[in-house]
Amino acid sequence: MTSATARAGRPWVMGRSYALLLLFPSAYLAVFFLWPLARVVLRSLMDPKPGFGAYTKVLFTGPYLYILFYTLEVAALVTAVCLLIGYPVAAITARMRGWRLRLMTALIVGSLWMSAVIRSYAWMILFQRFGVVNQMLVALGFTDQPVRILQTMTAVTIGMVHILLPFMLLPLIATMRRIDPNLLRAGRILGANPVRLFLGVYLPLSLPGVQAGIMLVFITALGFFITPSLLGGGRTMMAAMLIEQEVDIFLDWPTACAVATVLLVFTIALYLVYTRLTRANVARSLR
Amino acid sequence: MTAGALGERIAGATLIALLVIFLIAPLLVVVLMSFTNQLYLAFPPTELVLRWYRALWDDPRWLEAGWNSVVIGTLTSALSMLLGTLSALAVTRSGRAWIQPIGSLIVAPMMLPHIIIAIGLYPTMLDLGLNSTYAAVVIGHAVVATPLVFTTVTAALRGYDPALELAAMTLGANGWRSFRYVTLPMIGSGLAVGGIFAFAVSFDELMLALFLASPRTETLPRLLWEHLSQTITPVIAAVATMVLIFTFLLLGSVVLLRRPDAEEPVP
Repeated sequence: MTSATARAGRPWVMGRSYALLLLFPSAYLAVFFLWPLARVVLRSLMDPKPGFGAYTKVLFTGPYLYILFYTLEVAALVTAVCLLIGYPVAAITARMRGWRLRLMTALIVGSLWMSAVIRSYAWMILFQRFGVVNQMLVALGFTDQPVRILQTMTAVTIGMVHILLPFMLLPLIATMRRIDPNLLRAGRILGANPVRLFLGVYLPLSLPGVQAGIMLVFITALGFFITPSLLGGGRTMMAAMLIEQEVDIFLDWPTACAVATVLLVFTIALYLVYTRLTRANVARSLR
Repeated sequence: MTAGALGERIAGATLIALLVIFLIAPLLVVVLMSFTNQLYLAFPPTELVLRWYRALWDDPRWLEAGWNSVVIGTLTSALSMLLGTLSALAVTRSGRAWIQPIGSLIVAPMMLPHIIIAIGLYPTMLDLGLNSTYAAVVIGHAVVATPLVFTTVTAALRGYDPALELAAMTLGANGWRSFRYVTLPMIGSGLAVGGIFAFAVSFDELMLALFLASPRTETLPRLLWEHLSQTITPVIAAVATMVLIFTFLLLGSVVLLRRPDAEEPVP
């Protein structure tokens, strides 16, 4: 819209000179982003000899395949938990006004910026054998003696939910705030009970936010490294940890690059779905 | 108010309270831990002392890493502000259809796992002879920080009428002068917010630093990471507390920068 007016005003200079500004950023991205990514893909195919050797190893041998599936499993579990917690919280937050809304937004956006290393460290303290969580479990009578929480999938899931919850909450709240309360009032007047009102009106209208939240959390979760390393230890390995280990310990770059390429393809594919979904939703809301 | 509605409100308030506790309590635990007197992680601490802050002050490695992180963060922020502003101007103002996809390319590094960029950049930096220099870390960090400047500046640019720039040019200002006296004042706070975000991304970034930094260019997250994978002493809690306070101040400055913008009447 704005660019169209600019074009109408001075089409003969503006467009070209503004496009020239892209020279430096695009050169930078080409050298320090696209070329490095291409290198990763190329190395997975060319090193040590051209072919799909690294992929046969990564996609068809037990341990590697297991880690890839485990990564998907953790990401799916984290996404589900985020949605389960996030949906009701977002629905309540969306109805807030004034300082309450500002405070919640500050809390959610603020926690996005707190260091992931430090937050995972916090959960390490909480989940220790004689840590607060174990003390509480014993005091409340859930177990007789401290249980192991660290180095389990539970610890990894909780730590990741803590970091990724804002990615679910923000699109949900944005969508829910746009729902016209009059629609719910109309439904109520027409005699719909709360369950029908929710299933027939509120849920369908909030779906764009649900889709965006699910995609954002899932995509981000796939590449997690810090939290699964610190809270999962060596037992529960995710794809990013595998890549780091192949490079750092085994110096096996081709395998690392093959895993990275698989992760890259997955992320890009999901991202394309995400942009298509959000664009379709925006188009629908404009209609 | 009916009993049902009251119950609903209580349930809602409880849920929000639990969420707030879930988000904040772990950070408070770290802060409390930093004042403990025990050598090992024990919570809650029995007495509060400043022992670990003194240990932190006495160890030059922490101070050096902190300084490195600030230097790298500042340079990253400057480079990202340049890259982000140039690309935001081109994408919002050029009006060329083929430029639009470049916008999604610029934000792409934000969505990709950093490890993939890291293992691609490592050999690239080797080729360029930049390994274990500040430049290597700054260049890598700018790749993942630029999207934030790009998005905030794009939003700022879309927030006012480009006719203002046209007016300046019609009145005889060249491209640079119209940018300096019209565009820059309009996008100033958006640009500053983007710059702070870029700094924050760099200040907290671990993966690229693991691959691109060296003991000489050790960053704070990297040193924290090394300590966490070896022994866990409460010194880490003291460092973490300082980092949390610093992040908090950064966010506070963003809020202060944003407010006048939000309350400005729309022309």
